Amino acid sequence: MKIRSTIAALLVAATFASCSKNDSGTPVPENPGNYILAVTPAASTGVADYLLTAGSLETGSISTAGNGIEQDGTYRYYVTTNNKFFSLLYGQGNPGAVTAYDVKDGKLNKLTNFQTETVQAFAPVKDDLLLFKISRSTETPLSNWYKVNTNSLLITSEGTTNTLQLSGNGEMAHFSWIKQIGDKVYAPYFTIIDRTFATNYPDEASIAVFNYADMKLEKVIKDTRTSFIGRYFTDGLALTENNDVYAFSASVAAKGGVLTSTKPSAITRIKSGTTEFDQSYFFNFEDVSGGMNITNWMYLGNNNFIVNATTKAEKGAYTIGKTIGIVNVVNKTFQKVTGMPATADMVSLTFSNYTPKDGKTGYIGVNLKDGTSYVYKIDAATQTATQGLKVEGGSITSIQFLN
Amino acid sequence: MQFRKFLLLAVLCAYSIFTLAQSPGSIRGKVINSSGAPVGAATVMLQQGTGTMTDEQGLFLFKAVPSGYYQITVSAVGFKTQQKELTVSAGNQAEVHFTVKDAAVNMETVTVTGRSAVKETNRQAFNVTAVDAKKLYNTTLDLAGALDRVSGIRVRESGGVGSNFNLSLNGFSGNHVRYFIDGIPMDNFGSSFQINNIPINIADRLEVYKGVVPIWLGSDALGGAINIITGDRYRNYVDASYSYGSFNTHRSVINAAATTKSGFTVQLNAFQNFSDNDYKVKVDAADINTGAYTPGAYLRRFHDQYHNETLIANIGVVDKSYADKLLFGITLGKNYKEIQTGARMVSVFGAWHRRGDIVMPTLKYKKVDLLKGLDVTINANYNLGSETNIDTMNVRYDWFGNSKPNGSNGERARSLYKYKNNNGIATTMLNYRMDGRQSIALSNVFTTFNRKGADPLNPGTDDLPAKTQKNVLGLGYSYDIKDKWSTSVFGKYIYQNNSTGTNGSAATTNKLGYGIATAYFLTPNLQIKSSYELTNRMPEAQEIFGDIENQEGNPSLKPEQSNNVNLGLSYAFAINPSNKFQVNANAIYRQATNFIYNRLNNNQSKLVADNRDGVRTVGGDGEIRYSYKQWLNIGATATYQYLQNLQKYEPGYSGVSPVYKDQMPNIPYFFGNADASVSLRNVGARGNNLNIGYNLLYVHAFYLYWPSRGGDKLDIPQQISHDINLVYSVKNGRYNIGIEGRNIADALLYDNFSLQKPGRGFYLNLRYFINKTTNN
Repeated sequence: MKIRSTIAALLVAATFASCSKNDSGTPVPENPGNYILAVTPAASTGVADYLLTAGSLETGSISTAGNGIEQDGTYRYYVTTNNKFFSLLYGQGNPGAVTAYDVKDGKLNKLTNFQTETVQAFAPVKDDLLLFKISRSTETPLSNWYKVNTNSLLITSEGTTNTLQLSGNGEMAHFSWIKQIGDKVYAPYFTIIDRTFATNYPDEASIAVFNYADMKLEKVIKDTRTSFIGRYFTDGLALTENNDVYAFSASVAAKGGVLTSTKPSAITRIKSGTTEFDQSYFFNFEDVSGGMNITNWMYLGNNNFIVNATTKAEKGAYTIGKTIGIVNVVNKTFQKVTGMPATADMVSLTFSNYTPKDGKTGYIGVNLKDGTSYVYKIDAATQTATQGLKVEGGSITSIQFLN
Repeated sequence: MQFRKFLLLAVLCAYSIFTLAQSPGSIRGKVINSSGAPVGAATVMLQQGTGTMTDEQGLFLFKAVPSGYYQITVSAVGFKTQQKELTVSAGNQAEVHFTVKDAAVNMETVTVTGRSAVKETNRQAFNVTAVDAKKLYNTTLDLAGALDRVSGIRVRESGGVGSNFNLSLNGFSGNHVRYFIDGIPMDNFGSSFQINNIPINIADRLEVYKGVVPIWLGSDALGGAINIITGDRYRNYVDASYSYGSFNTHRSVINAAATTKSGFTVQLNAFQNFSDNDYKVKVDAADINTGAYTPGAYLRRFHDQYHNETLIANIGVVDKSYADKLLFGITLGKNYKEIQTGARMVSVFGAWHRRGDIVMPTLKYKKVDLLKGLDVTINANYNLGSETNIDTMNVRYDWFGNSKPNGSNGERARSLYKYKNNNGIATTMLNYRMDGRQSIALSNVFTTFNRKGADPLNPGTDDLPAKTQKNVLGLGYSYDIKDKWSTSVFGKYIYQNNSTGTNGSAATTNKLGYGIATAYFLTPNLQIKSSYELTNRMPEAQEIFGDIENQEGNPSLKPEQSNNVNLGLSYAFAINPSNKFQVNANAIYRQATNFIYNRLNNNQSKLVADNRDGVRTVGGDGEIRYSYKQWLNIGATATYQYLQNLQKYEPGYSGVSPVYKDQMPNIPYFFGNADASVSLRNVGARGNNLNIGYNLLYVHAFYLYWPSRGGDKLDIPQQISHDINLVYSVKNGRYNIGIEGRNIADALLYDNFSLQKPGRGFYLNLRYFINKTTNN
């Protein structure tokens, strides 16, 4: 009996010894609201994203500890359109799983799952979500597009575009992003030799213009004053209130791992009602900023943009700039904002941010080295950044808003 | 009785002679067997609970025994327990002698019967469990299926016959656990020869080492090892079996050996597996055209056929003066595998497949007492086989089997990559027994891997060097008093050189490990085992370079180092001769740095091995078995393991990680087995036996991702499956008919990242066995 109880005791002891739980301090309760934040725990790899709600981006705190809807997979992208929030998996060779949500009583409410392809560009166009799966091999020059109806949440049609023919230079045209402009779809592109993304044409900008809904190629707009528009997975176009289109070039064309463009990072324009670059407009960003280049931007309205920029030393094809500034495209001004944390304290800035489009306000996610993250309110009028909502237990990958 | 009275009288006489002082008395005596030889290591117990052991001469002595009346009991393995009474008076030395009777004479009173090799293995200093494979010969189990029933073990398969597998042992998984066949590492045998496609009949027994792995299994195993003993059961025999069952599954095995009087021997093992694996799965199946899901659809797998055919032939001599065994052999085999899914079930394929073959010459040499006390074992093999990854269709499939064109990059990644891993192993093992108790073992294992291949569809991308060489040198010393205690101390020196990357940069790592393992018999039926080891686990070739399938390579994977402590207890007892019990319990504690684990890659398409700075494992497993007479056997095992992430900082961050001290995700942490079998003898006719068995598997639910994060979480639900089997043996096992029902409740069983396993299946197994005890 003594032995049996010893064994039992040992087993029980082993069980209890193992119960030293994570001591995570006071739990942060749910924060119901219409803002949706996607948060990735800092455990870098092999983790899920969590979708959290917040009532305000300017105060309070949220945490992934015990809260949030777990998203299957790390490489996720988020888009809001037609009053729905879409969570898309970038599955490289896998089908792209998509989950659609709306917000009810400040909480995310799952509408449906559906499946698309893993795509390299997607954007709301009218009632659809237009997706582009872009070929990287000249041997198979057809790139596929898919339309997902945001009411029925089904793929309603699909087709192909010959992106080798499109470029006309023997390289594959690769759309940096797609955007609805009027009743057309504009698709700025760079050209690539193969899947290394190298190019022999670093000094030109091109935009393919498609009819909608038949996706027929209407024309290609070209400009040789800049390198290509936007960057891989980055929207380089913006439509202002008077229907002018502005485009930025990061000037990050490369070959053999070396940046090869001789053109500066700059902003160009397509005047409303035209489908040509406005040769009378050129905003040399490198000159104004003292040698920096734009990596991405967000349009606030009233010709004002929040831009992320890198210094010459930081410049890279996939680097997201940690310098935040305000650009006015009409006045051709650039001013850095004050109040941001020191660059050395930041791990990353959120790529997909929120603006109410009031002409001056934007909210961007700032992920700090100490593991906490904050939403910063950027005021374009005063060029200031103010610390707002605190996010614990992960870095912010997307900030969205849904009524 | 007469003898006892006589002895008592003699003892009493002795008292009167030696009554000298007023100090406490003492008792001495001798234990001999019925033929008069001394019995060493017998347990001698005084009534009050003090005990001692006899020495080699069978002598024992109790000092400082207070005066009084005593019962004294002698027990020894293989002998009947005997009890005597005597009185000790102050200052006197009492003398009492025992002549113990051989237990085999009287089977009914035996609590510990003579041990088979299986039980003998269980009594080593190392924490080892042996599975008697012979008891499973009439089932359709493969080696992995048999191992799944051992406490502390979870075999995780990605599907049905021939699927990828991953074994976890006390919280260690993947290549923490190493596999051996007759002591030869199986590291690089290729896909045609793996523990989940080798039938159980090839083995004599399976040894499962938890924690410390003995030096003679020279390896850098960190969590444990599994050694498959094929054994030389009979010099001349034929054992053939065939089974057919659900999902169009056919398996056959033929094992045979012929040996002449002069010792010339030919041994053949041939086996074949074939299955369509077209079992139904429950999936959210998306329509290929609209993207709409049909939630919870029950659909048949449609692209999962697997077959392999393997022949192992050995020719040589046995029982010669210069060699107990000298065999030259070759393993020939091929396999074909359709790949139904990626690392997750959402990615479904309809044409991607793999072909592989194995051409492996082998050498085996063994000689006990080459010089007096010196045993030598040498093994070598080199795999010339190749594998081809075939993904040529530019389409996307859905779960309904429909497809449509999809870009340019194949189903996963367009490929016709054919490669050879060029792997070889050479092992040398020297064991020198200095005397009956002490021995020194020296072992060296060298492995080499050099993947070379070409892909006509992707020229130029396949010439990156993928080379790794490893050498493990081990030295151990053992001290062993049979059935009392044994101890081993050992050290291991590991060298690894990897060439990876575009510039083929080579990196060399050297690691030193050491440890101690000890086992002690408190009583002949109660054994305690404990071990400590500082151990190193080098990245494996498949982890560094990937498997070209669902495992992605990680060239920057670091070696893992771990401090392991194990404690085990084993106790056998009987309430009465009919009701016998066996209880085993183990506790483990492990603190690992650079813990190697499998996670999904960022886009969920493949698994990838990665390091965590630190992981602590605390756990325990237990087993209890009960038998009633010869015909009823019931057992249960349970395992609990808590793996805690101790990586405090994530790369690039200075703050404490949100998953610091969190439980490691997607690792089963509580699971168990229960089984019952009934053996009925002489059913129908004399010599015909009927066995009915039942097995239950339980796995507690666990989370797919970090447990502390999120409120609405994805999990792998609780799993319970029931297997039954019925075997009818005719003519003392010459002909056998088995019927097996697996997962009879048709429960949903999941594995690796929620991949589903087969539902209910039934299998019929026919086996013929004959052996000649006399030589030809």
